[in-house]
Amino acid sequence: MLELQPMLSALWRNKVPALLISLQLALTLAIISNIVIIIQERIEKIGRPTGIAVEEIIAINVMAIPQDYDMIGAISADMDLLRKLPLVKDATVTNQVPLSQSGSAGTFYTQPNQKVGGENSNRYNTDPNFINTLGLKLVAGRNFTNTEMQYYDPSEIRDVNVAVITQQFAENIYPGQDPIGKPLYDGDSHPIEIIGVVERHLGAWVDWSKAGNVAFFPIARNTQDINYLVRAEPGKRDEVLKTLVEKLSERDPQRVIKTRILSEYVARSYAGDNLMVKVLSIVAATLSFIVALGIVGLTIFWINQRAKQIGVKRALGATRSNISRYFLVENSLIAVTGIALGSAAALIVNQYMVRDYSQPVLTLVPLSICALLVLVVSLTAALAPALRAANISPATATRSV
Amino acid sequence: MLKMHNVRKSFRTDTIETHALRDFSLEVKEGEFVSVTGPSGSGKTTFLNIAGLLETPTGGQYLLDSEDVSNLNDRQRSRLRNEKIGFIFQGFNLIPDLNLFDNIDVPLRYRGFNAKERRKRIEKVLEQVGLSARAKHLPAQLSGGQQQRVAIARALAGEPRFLLADEPTGNLDSLMARQVMELLEFINEWGTTIVMVTHDPELARRAHRNIQIVDGQVCDLRTLTEQPEAATA
Repeated sequence: MLELQPMLSALWRNKVPALLISLQLALTLAIISNIVIIIQERIEKIGRPTGIAVEEIIAINVMAIPQDYDMIGAISADMDLLRKLPLVKDATVTNQVPLSQSGSAGTFYTQPNQKVGGENSNRYNTDPNFINTLGLKLVAGRNFTNTEMQYYDPSEIRDVNVAVITQQFAENIYPGQDPIGKPLYDGDSHPIEIIGVVERHLGAWVDWSKAGNVAFFPIARNTQDINYLVRAEPGKRDEVLKTLVEKLSERDPQRVIKTRILSEYVARSYAGDNLMVKVLSIVAATLSFIVALGIVGLTIFWINQRAKQIGVKRALGATRSNISRYFLVENSLIAVTGIALGSAAALIVNQYMVRDYSQPVLTLVPLSICALLVLVVSLTAALAPALRAANISPATATRSV
Repeated sequence: MLKMHNVRKSFRTDTIETHALRDFSLEVKEGEFVSVTGPSGSGKTTFLNIAGLLETPTGGQYLLDSEDVSNLNDRQRSRLRNEKIGFIFQGFNLIPDLNLFDNIDVPLRYRGFNAKERRKRIEKVLEQVGLSARAKHLPAQLSGGQQQRVAIARALAGEPRFLLADEPTGNLDSLMARQVMELLEFINEWGTTIVMVTHDPELARRAHRNIQIVDGQVCDLRTLTEQPEAATA
């Protein structure tokens, strides 16, 4: 027995507070559902596969102190040393550390001397050990060979002949085609042959719209500073990290050597997203809490106001559960009205968010989940007062006011 | 109909225990119209609450319709109140947000009657109390006497065997009080047992029997049916 019709009559006669709570719920739903999709998008972004064995990798920055330092010679010697260290799986040289928010990019074309319609991509200068060191997966073609490596001074301009690219970049620049053997041009007439495709590498910038477009070239240049990546055996990264600086300094003391684990770079790259998730979660929780307080307050107020009525109803035969149910159903009616208004508001707000702030589109599933959440919050808030109302004695009916 | 034997009711606060009813024994027969009087704080309301199953006695035995109801649980008492007992309160206790029709509907919904049955009963009792034309009015739009008639209609709609009235005319002027009293007498003539708590000695005398409660006990029993002049007062 739901008493819907008399309940609606009673609500109608107390419509202002009921409507205010409805509106509060509506506003909460509109805000929370839009917050939730932003949080969802950020979490998906943070959780994207990087394609890289992040947890096993240590990045080393080597800066030579002497001005005329032979970096090319040092790279060979360092690589020999690093690759022979116990618990080290492999090591590679690179101009930039992946996922570090620092890197270089270029525009590549499919035709010689093409100037428009290119595809942007991260570019890394590295050596044949990069696939094994980063833990990438070669899905087509082949890796570089040592004979394809080019070592040269930054003042020289040399044409690079081969590249390994990511699958994403391959699909973007040669959609629906086998990229192996196809040329890349970087604005001139010299073709760079695509010799291999790796499954995934997120590149330098996690926020970049083209993140995942990456090309690797077999180049090491004689610069003043260079980066190495060392991959430890699983679980041995921290152990390897302890001795790295010491071993490299021992080999050649004329450098400043800094190490940092790759996961730290990744954490920094996603710091903004993580903060956004936290802040928005707190906002959503606070908002839900405030609306819950409002409902608790209103329900308690109504119950106190209607204590006599409750007593009378009990005297006339209402059981405790009749009374609790009345308030819970009444609360649900208010909540459902709020949810209806809130869903409409959420979709309208979302249209602006999508259009003006490139936020994700609010679909039915997250909206329904948020609506359910709002209903649960509302019912939970009303539950304690409603149960308390059931304890009002039927003898209240015979008490003179 | 109603039989109380050595019923006790005490209220305990932190420091003192108050005995509202002590060794209270009383029998009301089927079809009787009994008035209950007594000074303030004598235990009239406590008696009414226990008789109406609104409170449980601390001790003793209470038989309603030959059924021992002293130790029923809350749900069973709710059901009995709903089915067997009609209540008329001093303050009418109509629900201000509901119109007359919906007010009378309240106990019928708890009874679980279907909509058709409820409508039939509501229309019938509204007719009996002469307020059919006002079914859609809110209580606040009626006079006190009319409100009490609605409350009586609400009590009658479930066709209770037993009507408990708590100062039914306490808030009414003498003309309206007389109308309400006549209505109660009419109801009683049709077979409903009535127990009425009142301050008004004149009304008390119109009942078949008056019970005086003093200090939580039945003090004096006088049969008033032999005094016909009282009935016309």
